[in-house]
Amino acid sequence: MDALLAQHLLNWLVLGSIYTLIALGFSLLFGVLDVIHFSHGDVSMAAPFVALAAIQAVAAWAVPLTGTGALLLAILISMAAIGLLGVLLDWLVIRRFRAAPAMMALVATVALGTVIRELIRTLYPQGSNPKPFPAIATDVIRLGDIVVPVFSLIVIAVSVLTVIALFALLNHTPVGVRIRAVAEDRAVARLMAIRPNRIFAVTFFIASAVGAVGAVFFVSHAGVVRFDYGVQLGLIGFSAAVIGGLGSMQGAILGSLLIAGIDMLVQIAVPDGASYRLVFIFLLVIGVLVLKPSGILGKPVFEKV
Amino acid sequence: MLEMERVCTSYGPVPMLRDVSLRVGEGEMVCLLGPNGAGKSTTFNAICGLLPADSGTIRIAGRDVKEAGPERLASLGVGFVPEGRRLFPTLTVRENLRLAFDAARNPGLDFEDRLAKMSALFPRIEERLGQGAGTMSGGEQAMVALARALIGDPRLVVMDEPSLGLSPRLISEYFQIVARIRDEGKAVLLIEQNAETALSIAERGYLLIRGQIAISGASETLLKDDTIRHLYL
Ligand SMILES: Nc1ncnc2c1ncn2[C@@H]1O[C@H](COP(=O)(O)OP(=O)(O)O)[C@@H](O)[C@H]1O
Ligand SMILES: [Mg+2]
Repeated sequence: MDALLAQHLLNWLVLGSIYTLIALGFSLLFGVLDVIHFSHGDVSMAAPFVALAAIQAVAAWAVPLTGTGALLLAILISMAAIGLLGVLLDWLVIRRFRAAPAMMALVATVALGTVIRELIRTLYPQGSNPKPFPAIATDVIRLGDIVVPVFSLIVIAVSVLTVIALFALLNHTPVGVRIRAVAEDRAVARLMAIRPNRIFAVTFFIASAVGAVGAVFFVSHAGVVRFDYGVQLGLIGFSAAVIGGLGSMQGAILGSLLIAGIDMLVQIAVPDGASYRLVFIFLLVIGVLVLKPSGILGKPVFEKV
Repeated sequence: MLEMERVCTSYGPVPMLRDVSLRVGEGEMVCLLGPNGAGKSTTFNAICGLLPADSGTIRIAGRDVKEAGPERLASLGVGFVPEGRRLFPTLTVRENLRLAFDAARNPGLDFEDRLAKMSALFPRIEERLGQGAGTMSGGEQAMVALARALIGDPRLVVMDEPSLGLSPRLISEYFQIVARIRDEGKAVLLIEQNAETALSIAERGYLLIRGQIAISGASETLLKDDTIRHLYL
């Protein structure tokens, strides 16, 4: 195979994996809560800041952990912290809009995203400036002409494992069955002694923790993090979930791979394509929605009502 | 087992139930009749705590439903068959039944035991356990919905038009099973439009018209009642 083509394919899988980790959260939250959680990108993007702080804390305590080890520990810490942040936001804000029209919840989560960004900017030391983010791994493996960064392998492997774990959780554990029950019929789930608010908390934890990994990979890939990266990442993840069909986990994966594909093609084929990748992504979203308003794998909206 | 006292509910500004009182004693089978739109499902939703009453009280096994909340009713010994079955469509039959079994928290019951009992009552369930509930026929879903209400061995079963949409042959099969549940000593509140069938297996009945109990009494009396004859027979 052409080495350049192989390189592009690898990059496509890396981008697709990162987008998947974000899109899954959008789709899961929508499927279970019927809420488009527009601040999901910003919540996730708080993770790299937690990770940076955790790395510094680890270093300050002179724990003999450096490089990949310290970073992985920092990622675990940020997953837990961002998972809890998601639960907290649901409890503080989104819970108040359970009975409200969908538009209200949407406006609330958009506003929430702004609040999170501004809080990071104000509270994090020199929060307005871009911060270098360490590479999770810098080694490369050479296969003939093809250079395979270990980082790419980590991203793909972790994403695949996360997806498998999420599917196993939803389909084969008591809590997963309850999450699906609440997603399908909240009222009857209550008659089955399931408390929807608890299920929402669990769902928020899962979606936000998975998003945290996606955001850390995203900035580690870029080498830098900024307080407002969550906007772009959120838009991409949301678009992927919409294309695939909000509420469908398989759809989120498919949508992410499609968007990553467009993203790659634009950057390769269009001069200065990186600056208007979002334009092409939104064209794809509009195209899919015109042909199939519920997304590629989404159920027609009336089935859910 | 179930007591409703002067319950009023409304949808927004529109009043729906007005001073509805009814009771179902231990081991008693009672039906609630009424034409379309009379407020039967509204009554069902009030009983299961999903629709809060504006005034009046509802008690199940002595507990106030408003205080207990819908999540605790199964453990008080109630099984529900909501209108339209409302199984969880992408969950398997087994998962649907398992959720209801866990909800009942009935100590001393074993899930596999109860599953075997349900399979004996509904012969077609066993081969469908691994199948998505939404992929079954309407008749099969009706049976699973009843099995879901029964699997925790409740003392009271509340059903909202459970036979709606079934073929005449399935309806008679269905009500034979309902009669068997009654004979086992479970209390049953059967909400039905089909007055003749309901009154033929229930001991007593209530007729709901435009949100109010219009008539109530023993089944034999109601079968002879002019309003009911006029409405249904
Ligand atoms: N969620 C709701 N909001 C507003 N009105 C409702 C709602 N549910 C039912 N209704 C109205 O209340 C009336 C009684 O409905 P229902 O209790 O379902 O009747 P039944 O089960 O006896 O056919 C109907 O006129 C119906 O349109
Ligand atoms: Mg009804």
